[in-house]
Amino acid sequence: MSSVTRRTHWLRPLLAVVALLLLGAAALAQEVQLETRVFEIARQLRCPSCVSESVSDSSAPIAQQMREIIQDQLVAGRSETEILAYFQTRYGDWILLDPPKRGIHLVAWFLPIIVGVVAVAVVALLARRWLANSRKTIEATPEELARVRSQLGITRSRAEEPSREEPRTGGPD
Amino acid sequence: MKLQRLLLPLIAVAALGALFVFGLLRGAPDKDIESVLLGEMAPGFQMGLYDRYHPEYGPTFDFSEYAGTPMVVNFWASWCLPCYQEAPILQEYWRQYEDSGVLFVGIHTQNRDRYAEDGRTFLSQFGLTFPNGYDPNSDISIDWGLYGVPETFFVDRNGRVLLKHIGPVTPEVMDEQLRAMLQ
Repeated sequence: MSSVTRRTHWLRPLLAVVALLLLGAAALAQEVQLETRVFEIARQLRCPSCVSESVSDSSAPIAQQMREIIQDQLVAGRSETEILAYFQTRYGDWILLDPPKRGIHLVAWFLPIIVGVVAVAVVALLARRWLANSRKTIEATPEELARVRSQLGITRSRAEEPSREEPRTGGPD
Repeated sequence: MKLQRLLLPLIAVAALGALFVFGLLRGAPDKDIESVLLGEMAPGFQMGLYDRYHPEYGPTFDFSEYAGTPMVVNFWASWCLPCYQEAPILQEYWRQYEDSGVLFVGIHTQNRDRYAEDGRTFLSQFGLTFPNGYDPNSDISIDWGLYGVPETFFVDRNGRVLLKHIGPVTPEVMDEQLRAMLQ
């Protein structure tokens, strides 16, 4: 055996191991990617036998089977729209957690936006009115002023109070 | 003036309260959802039958073999209490109608494998003589758009779904639907 062959003969098994590891990692990555897609689609579907739970969140047998069906259909090359349509033909629009953007379902999509816009407009209008009111000078009648003074415990108006600086009286010393 | 100021928040709170009470009192809205299968052709299926039905119906029930036969397709599970309530009713009506050309089929579904054997106990307990099988992966349930158990589908002789009954069947439902199916 030449020295070059001796030096490289261990390379082959090493390369085989590296290749196997790479293949394993690629397969694992593909599986993880597939599972992620399954759960992404399952998150859009309502679990039929649960209360307010998605197919992604539920551990009910029917939800598990629905996830398997999603996986099988993804592997078969079906698109997300096709898979959702598959369940829609069996359960109707009810199966979709997000109502479809058509017909009466549009109310569910647009009503919150409309309500939000109206609410902002109402708040803006009220705020404008409040600001305008706060800038107004208050006209009060003497009776009203007297009532306020009595409520605040002020017996005399400041105008009536004697000045703190006593006026000098008397002539030069 | 004070009352006027309070009026708007009061109306808002009352409206929210009314909505809350409505939500509490409206019951299970899912029960009001009609099956998309109504008036449509019933989905075909093949299902392994429990041993006790093999002599009369064979090991596998094939829906397509019964074309032209009105059918009552009942989905149940061994853990489902209302299923225990309706099983004697189904058996009673099967006895009455088995010679009139209607076929009853029971599908044990939405169960985990460890409970599959409970199905045999259930069938023995009620002595159900119409064919019953097991849907291990809930595939048939999904094809039939099942929400839960029990649910019963009434299929006419043309293979169209006449009604989906959610919850345990009652004698009134059975009388009405069987009469309609046999007309």
